[in-house]
Amino acid sequence: MAIDMELEAVLRPPEAPQAPYPAKVITLANGKRMVVREVTRADVPKLLRVVHPTLFIDKDYYNVVGARLYSELLAWQYYRVQNEFCLVGQIDGILVGMVNSRMYTAETGMSLHTLAIDRGLRIGAHLFAAKMEHHIEFLGQKEVLIVAESPIGFRRWMTEYGLEPTTIPHELGGAPAYRLTRQLYFDSKPRLVVGDRPVPDELLAVAEQELIAADESMIREKIAGLKGR
Amino acid sequence: MRDVAIIGVGMIPFGRRDQDSLIDMLAYASMKALDDAHLGDKAVDAVYVANMGGGILQHQTGIASALVDRLSLLPAAADLVENGPASGASAIKNGVQAIASGYSDVVLVAGGEKMREVTGWRATDFVATLTHPESEYPYGITLPGMAGMFTRLYMEQHGLTAEALVAVAIKNQEMGALNPYAHVEMMITKEGIFDSPHSVVNNPLVADPLRLYDACPVSDGAAAVLMCPLEMARELTEKQPVVVAGFGQATDTHTLQERDDPTDLKAVRLAAQQAFDRAKLKPSDVDVAELHDAFTVLEIAESEHVGFFGKGEGSKAALAGLTRFGGKIPINVSGGLKARGHPVGATGVAQVVEITWQLRHELPKERQVKNAKVGLTVNFGGFGNNVLAFVLRRAS
Amino acid sequence: MSNLQITGYKCKHCGRIHYPRHEQCLQCHGREFESIAPEGNATLLAYTQIFNLPWGFDERFLIIGVAQFGNGIKSMGQIKAESLDQLHTGMQLRPVWEPVRYVYGEPVYGLKLEPMG
Repeated sequence: MAIDMELEAVLRPPEAPQAPYPAKVITLANGKRMVVREVTRADVPKLLRVVHPTLFIDKDYYNVVGARLYSELLAWQYYRVQNEFCLVGQIDGILVGMVNSRMYTAETGMSLHTLAIDRGLRIGAHLFAAKMEHHIEFLGQKEVLIVAESPIGFRRWMTEYGLEPTTIPHELGGAPAYRLTRQLYFDSKPRLVVGDRPVPDELLAVAEQELIAADESMIREKIAGLKGR
Repeated sequence: MRDVAIIGVGMIPFGRRDQDSLIDMLAYASMKALDDAHLGDKAVDAVYVANMGGGILQHQTGIASALVDRLSLLPAAADLVENGPASGASAIKNGVQAIASGYSDVVLVAGGEKMREVTGWRATDFVATLTHPESEYPYGITLPGMAGMFTRLYMEQHGLTAEALVAVAIKNQEMGALNPYAHVEMMITKEGIFDSPHSVVNNPLVADPLRLYDACPVSDGAAAVLMCPLEMARELTEKQPVVVAGFGQATDTHTLQERDDPTDLKAVRLAAQQAFDRAKLKPSDVDVAELHDAFTVLEIAESEHVGFFGKGEGSKAALAGLTRFGGKIPINVSGGLKARGHPVGATGVAQVVEITWQLRHELPKERQVKNAKVGLTVNFGGFGNNVLAFVLRRAS
Repeated sequence: MSNLQITGYKCKHCGRIHYPRHEQCLQCHGREFESIAPEGNATLLAYTQIFNLPWGFDERFLIIGVAQFGNGIKSMGQIKAESLDQLHTGMQLRPVWEPVRYVYGEPVYGLKLEPMG
């Protein structure tokens, strides 16, 4: 069915303008270089292919995170959220993780999800840090509200950043949110936020040329750590 | 006293094994060891099971009885041996003593641990129950914390450097990547974990000055060995026997604070010395060693305490590549605890399995120490308060 | 009189100081001990900053060390510092007895050590 643009004009929320996230490159523990950059709506179908297998991984809450992320990306693609941004990590063009988030108000960010495709390289930690960097440094927000759906997330975000507990209900199910303030961000930045800018042209070109999705079994194996069976 | 031979070994890949129960893992490794020996219908007399945390982590006790039933080895004697992270070597020692004394002929030792079923917080707390319940545990001290204090002192007093620790981490992860049984397959680089300014996130402090890549992972896994008197080995199996030439065990104070010199791993020193004396061999006779590198610093410190290097020389040896595969004394060619993983009850058994493969010359050439005849293992319990060493020899 | 709930044990035969308790002296195997309390300030012998804490702790990190009191008792304790930059082995620490963890909301008391100067 063709999209009825007249109806869409009614259904689509007004979009808030957002500053772009400048790409950066991070050297990982294995020496590989991960490009972190912002993607657009046009990239969503590719992202969904990568997220889809996680819907069926009943481990470490991957299914919960995956299903919610899937729906958020889909809603973004079809203009059903006021605003959203998505940053991805790529090694040699291969998508290894993504984070999404949105501006709740001009001053408050609402952190949504973090999904790392490869485990053991702290890709999730790097991408979460990039998300906070975007909220605070490029979007200029005063605070970011955060909840964790998994123990790994809780340990990484709430404990490592020393987030403040609040009673503010988070968009993700109304759980009391934790808050990253500008002060906390800048206090934590030296030990949690890294990356070099600008990204060398040749590296950025590889990343922008294609978002390569590894095949499903590889993703499952890498995410779920199914080695040994 | 009879000489004791290892006639069968088995291991399952270490890692995160959500699908398997603790007993499943112990049973799989045991069957591999039994099959490895092609034992036929010769009955196993006794089973020793090494496990530290079944009671806490799985809420399961009577683990040896459960395993011997699962394996249908009834009515073999069955006992659980718990000696913290040195449970594996302790269980093997019990098996060796049973055979040497003549009480048993064919003994199966299986070691296993299932640690990934709980969160990291719980696993850390579980291991910390090794510490003194009154004077250590309440403070939140962890085993990485103990190792952190030890490392700082070793740096201050014995010339240990962060670069030497990095060299051990890279070496062991390189070797682990070649070991199909290893939990960690990933290679790391000095740039990524040390030189690059990004390493502050890649390799964060765990217990200052130790960092993430100085520590072993938390793993599930199991390993098993089958032993009999050397004189029976040739008739029971066609496998190349490996002789338990000597073992040693020593203890030290429960708390680190009561040691006159906390950088002296007295129990390691004494256990290794006993093992060499019983084997009538010396450190320079060893072709390959598996040392308990729960933290990179321990590989270096143990390499000094067992007599491979003088005190303060272990760092230099690690940096010079003397402990690499192909070096003067290859250490942790398996990847060690650092890369193979450290399912605590399994570790001491896995070390003996690895050395058995080395002495049988069964490994692929990229990690087979050429013509290896003598191997050493060190299994380190608590923070060095209960340590076992084995000297193993290829039977002539 | 110290308010530190730490009892050291001095061997009546050889004088070795023990903490925690042993049934026999570590040095001479003597069985008679004099109970002693920690005296004075303490000297820092070893320390670390731990980031991956066990269940039961909400802090981002703990700084833990081993210190020796003037009368020879050695004990572990939590160090009241924000960073290791404030510490070095051999420095003096002031002991206090304060909650070191909470179990089901109830405080568990133990030794805390404050850097001096």
